[in-house]
Amino acid sequence: MTTNGPRGYRPGLVDLATGQISREIFVNDDIYAEEQERVFARSWLFVGHESQIPNPGDFFVSRMGEESVILCRDRAGAVHVFLNSCRHRGMKVCRYDDGNTTVFTCPYHGWSYGTDGALVGVPYFREAYHSALDKARWGLVEVAQMCAYKGTVWANWDAAAPPFLEYLGEFRRFLDLILDGWDGREGQAELLGGVQKWLIPCNWKFPAENFSGDSYHNISHRSVDLVGVGPSGKSRRDYGELDVARKLHVAIPDRGHQTITYVLPSGHQPQPAYQNSPEVAEYFRHCEEERRRRPGANSRLIGAPGEIFPNLALLPRQPRTLAVWHPKGAHQTEVWRFFFVDRDAPAAVKNFLRDYYIRYSGPAGMTEQDDMENWNYAHAASRGVIARRYPYTYEMGLGHAVENYEWEGLLLPGRVVDLTAAQASEEPMRNLYRRWAEFMEADSWDELMTWRRNAPREAVAAK
Amino acid sequence: MSGPINIRDLAVGARVVLGSGAEAEIVSNPNDGVWLFARYLASPRDPALVGQEDMIFAQDVVEVRP
Amino acid sequence: MSDDRLARVLLTHEVAEFLYAEAELLDERHYDEWLALLADDIRYWMPMRRNVKYGEAAREFTREQADIAWFDEGKETLTRRVRQIQTGIHWAEEPQSRIAHFVSNVQLIEATPSVADAQEVAAKCRFLVYRNRVETETDLLIGKREDTLRRSGNGWLVARRKIILDQNVLMSKNLTFFF
Repeated sequence: MTTNGPRGYRPGLVDLATGQISREIFVNDDIYAEEQERVFARSWLFVGHESQIPNPGDFFVSRMGEESVILCRDRAGAVHVFLNSCRHRGMKVCRYDDGNTTVFTCPYHGWSYGTDGALVGVPYFREAYHSALDKARWGLVEVAQMCAYKGTVWANWDAAAPPFLEYLGEFRRFLDLILDGWDGREGQAELLGGVQKWLIPCNWKFPAENFSGDSYHNISHRSVDLVGVGPSGKSRRDYGELDVARKLHVAIPDRGHQTITYVLPSGHQPQPAYQNSPEVAEYFRHCEEERRRRPGANSRLIGAPGEIFPNLALLPRQPRTLAVWHPKGAHQTEVWRFFFVDRDAPAAVKNFLRDYYIRYSGPAGMTEQDDMENWNYAHAASRGVIARRYPYTYEMGLGHAVENYEWEGLLLPGRVVDLTAAQASEEPMRNLYRRWAEFMEADSWDELMTWRRNAPREAVAAK
Repeated sequence: MSGPINIRDLAVGARVVLGSGAEAEIVSNPNDGVWLFARYLASPRDPALVGQEDMIFAQDVVEVRP
Repeated sequence: MSDDRLARVLLTHEVAEFLYAEAELLDERHYDEWLALLADDIRYWMPMRRNVKYGEAAREFTREQADIAWFDEGKETLTRRVRQIQTGIHWAEEPQSRIAHFVSNVQLIEATPSVADAQEVAAKCRFLVYRNRVETETDLLIGKREDTLRRSGNGWLVARRKIILDQNVLMSKNLTFFF
């Protein structure tokens, strides 16, 4: 099995014809190093939320791949994403998590940068540099592209990458499910204060593929199903709708984004939910009715776990969160989990949901705890030379995806597997690793933008 | 010669004396302990600086006027 | 020794003894007996901590009942956590962790209505929680606790527990245990 060199990933390590993927892509340090270049330095990565930096001078220190970056709003109000590293000798210019500032000053030699990234302060500029240093060349390194979409901020180090919305493609409507209000109004998501950050001893792709749509692992959450953690104190969740909905996998093949989603029957009426809290029940009843009145196909979609390539997980229903799986070496992942509520929801509703989010998700989340145990020891038990000889199987549902899926008048994009009877498939994981292999093989974004060659109209539509 | 001065929390309007003998008034303080934004009030060595704004490095500040 | 000072020594000792006994129940996995020491209206809160500039201490912690936290819950959820461990199929605690709680620096902060006749006590302490599981997996969690204890019959109930963990990025993969 080939593990060195940029070529050979698809036949050697990611075999989509048989649905077999080598353990090497999870545990091999050389592949990890190459992944940093080929995947993370070229992909659109989630950086943060505009509500974290409402005022000029506000900043939030985030990560892109292994690197620390600063999301900030300059004095003129423009949003930037900078590499958090002094151009002179590399020291972090900001070691706070967030705050407000007029400058980012390096503690090492005192170089100082404005919130627009410009190098403004160089100690002994006249005396030691004899005024010869070209300050304009030595500002903070800024990302090649940045995009703010409905409050979320995304960035990319590669100037040749397509614009964010084209990168997102037809997955946009699934991201909208989390960023729009529960009542269907655009961009109503409000970020709750505090980002959960913690370490998991596993490769970042374990959580990435899980959130791509692993509906097969429900058994691992049996204990929480038994004791109940849901909004009504039962099971894990609280949606009668799911009993009448179609449960689907949707995979956008040339983008590498994929999700579980539920489609409600045409003309479906809201069902009672959150029954142990009248105020919360009333809020969601109101929202469900409102969103059914709004034009647009999303009123029949109920969001579920999904993944935007490479490392952003979304959970558009409750608990409503975005999670970033930051790689930290081949064998460790630093998770950052962001939680959202509707901006205009009553305080009691926000509080109710917040309580639910905390007991469900994150390191103290009664559900997510068991996931991390699985990822931890799946990774650990795949590191040995013998274990590495044996690939994982991803053949579940191979050949059962359809295109142009339609149910009761609702047409869905991409490749779709109906899980209503099947329960599970590995179409989303195959989709993730197909895209991953393409990134590992391609030398440029030109090769990766297959849709511009195959279907020019789609690229235009995405804009 | 006094010891090092912590400029981090000096107020806008405060006057500082620099090693060059110049005197400047703080127009804003980024509170980073390294830099001040100040306007020259006097500059015996280079009178052209008077009235100009500049970034003042902490190590250049030798005195804060009472 | 004056009566006042003696009463204070006795109460501090009583509080420390209670906290040690509580830790003993957790370390010996007597979870139902531990739950019985929690008041029905207990608030169990562990905020997250930010790196902030000197002078911005008010922003260091996420806010109770407003922001995200590591824990922010009452007895119902704490009971569910115990029940989850007791299913025997909560894989993050199966096989069960080996845990040792160290409680030290116990300080009596306030006693109401009085030290001599304390019905409610505010106490601070330091904790060190050692968790070792499966083969070599080891976590060390250190921080401060602010407890409110309420007199109940001959003993005490924990009515409020604020847990200050001295970490920023949580260095453990999960928090399946109690503080």
